[in-house]
Amino acid sequence: MKVSKKKSFLLLLTLLLTLSMAISACSGNNSKSNQSESTGKTNNSAATAETNVAGTETDIDTSKEVRLKMVMLGAKPADSQKVYDEINKKLKEKINATVEVEYLDWADWSQKYPIKFAANEDFDLIYTSNWAFYNDQATKGGFLELTEDLLKKYAPVAKANIPEVNWDQAKVNGKIYMIPNNHMEVVDKLSLIREDLRQKYNLPEVNSLESFATYLKTIAKNEKGVTAYSDAAGNGVVWHDLDLQTLFQLNNWRLLNYAVPIAFKADDPTGKLFNVIETPEYKDLLNYYKDLADNGVWPKNIINNKADIWPQVKSGKVSMITQNLLTLASNMAEAKRENANVNLKIVTLSPNAKTSAAIATQNGMGIHATSKNPERALMALDLFQNNKEIHDLVLLGIAGEHYKPEGDDKYSAGPMAANYGGYSTWGFNSNINRENLDTPKEALDMLNELKSRVYHYPLEKFVFDDTNVKNEISNINNVMIRYNAPLEYGAIENTNEGYAQLAKQLKTAGLEKVQQEMQSQIDAFLAAQ
Amino acid sequence: MNRNNFWRNLVRYHTLLLMLLPGVLFFILVAYIPMAGIVLAFKKYNYNDGIFGSPWNGFDNFKFFLQSGDAWDVTRNTVLYNIAFIIVNNLLPIIMAILLFEVAKKWFRKVIQTMMFLPYFLSWVVVGAIAYNLFNYDFGLVNGLLRGVGMEPIDIYNTPAYWPTILVIVSAWKAVGYGSIMYLAAITGIDTEMYEAAEIDGANVFQRIWKITIPNLLPTVIILVLLAVGNVFRGDFGLFYNMVGNNGLLFESTNVIDTFVFRALTLTSDIGMSSAAGFYQSILGFVTILAANYAVRKYDKDRALF
Repeated sequence: MKVSKKKSFLLLLTLLLTLSMAISACSGNNSKSNQSESTGKTNNSAATAETNVAGTETDIDTSKEVRLKMVMLGAKPADSQKVYDEINKKLKEKINATVEVEYLDWADWSQKYPIKFAANEDFDLIYTSNWAFYNDQATKGGFLELTEDLLKKYAPVAKANIPEVNWDQAKVNGKIYMIPNNHMEVVDKLSLIREDLRQKYNLPEVNSLESFATYLKTIAKNEKGVTAYSDAAGNGVVWHDLDLQTLFQLNNWRLLNYAVPIAFKADDPTGKLFNVIETPEYKDLLNYYKDLADNGVWPKNIINNKADIWPQVKSGKVSMITQNLLTLASNMAEAKRENANVNLKIVTLSPNAKTSAAIATQNGMGIHATSKNPERALMALDLFQNNKEIHDLVLLGIAGEHYKPEGDDKYSAGPMAANYGGYSTWGFNSNINRENLDTPKEALDMLNELKSRVYHYPLEKFVFDDTNVKNEISNINNVMIRYNAPLEYGAIENTNEGYAQLAKQLKTAGLEKVQQEMQSQIDAFLAAQ
Repeated sequence: MNRNNFWRNLVRYHTLLLMLLPGVLFFILVAYIPMAGIVLAFKKYNYNDGIFGSPWNGFDNFKFFLQSGDAWDVTRNTVLYNIAFIIVNNLLPIIMAILLFEVAKKWFRKVIQTMMFLPYFLSWVVVGAIAYNLFNYDFGLVNGLLRGVGMEPIDIYNTPAYWPTILVIVSAWKAVGYGSIMYLAAITGIDTEMYEAAEIDGANVFQRIWKITIPNLLPTVIILVLLAVGNVFRGDFGLFYNMVGNNGLLFESTNVIDTFVFRALTLTSDIGMSSAAGFYQSILGFVTILAANYAVRKYDKDRALF
């Protein structure tokens, strides 16, 4: 009797223990669905706010102080609080509002970003871009539609300053959901190589696939302790990080969806799509990569590497890095400022290719559909982008500390430059941006050269709507991670077998259906032009 | 008659029932109410219409998973791994708990327990980074040792065959401390009179373990296994994603439902489609636990969960 009682108590105890275990395991999932549940209830507030705006057409009432929450991408700068205290003083004075910033770190922003919307978290302003879910969230209703009236009333300067073509580019299904940046930018990927090492081995200038391979292979062979090439492929890439330079820019091809290997030639007025995997250029590139991999140019387990490689380039452990020009220029400036023991040089593998200017949605700021203060949020955006004082503060920090103003439109790094910046303030870029005097001359030359090659093509503004082929795209995404990345990084012994497998799996995943859908949308788009 | 019984029981066990109340409330709040969100699996979700207002789209959300051609592979992987985890992660803790119980020195027991428990607190991200530094081809510790003794290095991150073993070992390493504490508690609760009687009758250590400890542990084991069986279609995302990363070469032996869905949907981030995958796992899990419970019932009615 006594025994069985004790036993049943013990059973209960263990049961409770395991249940608590199960609870803690489940709670992660449940909180998500819990939060998304509330979405249904609160989504009316934006609508009412909008009608309020329309109703009070007369003067703007800023008598009530509001606190705006702004979501940005990137690591929180050390002096964030200090700079935003300064910004808030000005904002309070002008529009009786203050902002509070939340930073989504690069490591996991792409997972957190959609959840912020899906869970309908409380925020007003958010950075957005064509590479940061702009179309996706706009279609799903995550952003407040910025109507002509709203813009004219609350963001008059931005409305007037930003050219009509930029507003057009920011449209999704004919509606505007962001205040795009107002600054010409080129998005081509370039590389920084070690000029000192190139000269040491007396190698030819790097400006083509062949000279690039010579550079990498020589370093891999002769420089002990230096990895010729590395990147953070472990973050789930579907292409080799060099593909943009070695395949797409070189041949002037453009993808419609990053994960889908369907492209068109930028200068083809008919917008004829083709399968990248089936081109001879791609097949040649596979052998090119395999040769590099077999020569030990990159680490054997690169597909598992998640670490950012710039610090390793700076300390001389990796001999090159690939990025867009602005990032490379600031990398060079940083290396110089910190007296890093490396001599870096910007090179391009496609010196004759046409360049794409970034379209307006490359950087921008959106307003959350359920923001409680969309008017004030718009007014703040207008100031961030177009008020000289606030614009300088948010982009560069405090004058004399983080930057030194040089005249009205130039600046150089201040003593505390490292403590501010480096996150997605690009959404505020505009025609009053100060020019950086620290930018190395060769980077500026390169920029001018790229700008001279900028090419506008008819499909620049085309946005693909993936609604009908979501299943196929999800599966293609998986196939590309699984079969294309290892193949391109040369981790598969037999390239031909790996290629056959990739082609077969892509077919199964429905690549042809996606291509047809894309083509019919493009044809309709071009016909409407 | 029955109703009388109900009220009598209510009065008699009021303390126990009261203790049950917080747990019941908790589950209603975080498990049963949100269950309504299952409708998302059958909807084309958008923010404006919300969860219940979004338009229905039938079984469209399930299509991507079933069309992928990988559905069978990842489901098989998930189940096989979980079976291995259930066996290893229950057997090892039981053995460790019995050994610890038989060790007389208290300080020794405490030290071992603490050391075993430590990995439980490490995040999978950290464990994944440790593994990368152990197994890396170029600078990993394992290959460093192999090179040191003049052997050929092995490319672990390029060889799917190693990974089932690695993952089972890592999972056990992390789980054994927690499990053994639970089983140790269960063993401590066994009536000492039985051990005393056995000793008087001249039973040796092994007979004591085999005839007293293990039979008394069996109810606990069955409950834990039944609960784990309910999750047999859920892959441990933290384990698989952080150990394997996005290394496509290893997918054939390491892709489980959770990682498959995650990788497929990171770009599309469609809530309906991920809900559908979760729903698929829940239904299969529900069926399995019913079947397992039925089997236990057949064998011994008292030991079934319900």
